[in-house]
Amino acid sequence: MLIRRLKENSIELTEIEPIEAELLRKVPSVCDTGGDSRSEARLFSNPADTSERQFLNDWNEYVRPELRHLFLSAKKTVEEDLEKLSDHSGHLSRLIVPRAHADAWLNTLNQARLILASKFDFTDAELSMHDVPKSFSRRDLVLLQINFYAAIQERIIDAIEVEEE
Amino acid sequence: MAETVVETKVEVSLGTPWNVVVHNDPVNLMSYVTMVFQRVFGFSKEKAQQHMLEVHYKGRSIVWTGSRERAEFYLQQLHGYLLLATLEKAEC
Repeated sequence: MLIRRLKENSIELTEIEPIEAELLRKVPSVCDTGGDSRSEARLFSNPADTSERQFLNDWNEYVRPELRHLFLSAKKTVEEDLEKLSDHSGHLSRLIVPRAHADAWLNTLNQARLILASKFDFTDAELSMHDVPKSFSRRDLVLLQINFYAAIQERIIDAIEVEEE
Repeated sequence: MAETVVETKVEVSLGTPWNVVVHNDPVNLMSYVTMVFQRVFGFSKEKAQQHMLEVHYKGRSIVWTGSRERAEFYLQQLHGYLLLATLEKAEC
């Protein structure tokens, strides 16, 4: 897969392999925590220690719902973009993401990676490991999925950085 | 007639300064954290990278210090980007 910035204010994902397309299509569903407490705790981490009880209560009442709305809205944008992912069975696909959607993509890919890392309880060392394992357990495959989403994030940041600089 | 002089003492309370602290997180990408610092605080790329590296190597970085209200605003922004960020009283 290649990711590049197009002149007409969009980002092009091209030469997408079928397996990559499948992983991309999974992003919105991965973002559903399914009520998993570890994932919820990571997405909505505490903004202060327990000595700030009133602040934490206010945060949970007013800010947390706004954050949830922000995350869901970003996911919906990505979901709608992914509906345009061309689907030629067994062939390479292409997807155009409007530049205005780049932040939603970065946010949603981050949600997906954080949730996968929380659900599978990956350690810092595992997440920093770049060696290819000799055999692939389900856990190894999830780690590859996390790294695949990270690579897309990196390319999107590269694509928008050129403009912001 | 005696003149009464009333003295008014004006005290300006500056309030306790608060720190916005960002904590290390193995999932968030270094380039992403740098980009977020640039956007939220208007840091130069170099300054944003310095804070990002402090987070990465020391586990945390105080990215901003000032009024409580402003600190809460920045905190909300950072959580919107899914960074691990907390508020704490600054040591005077």
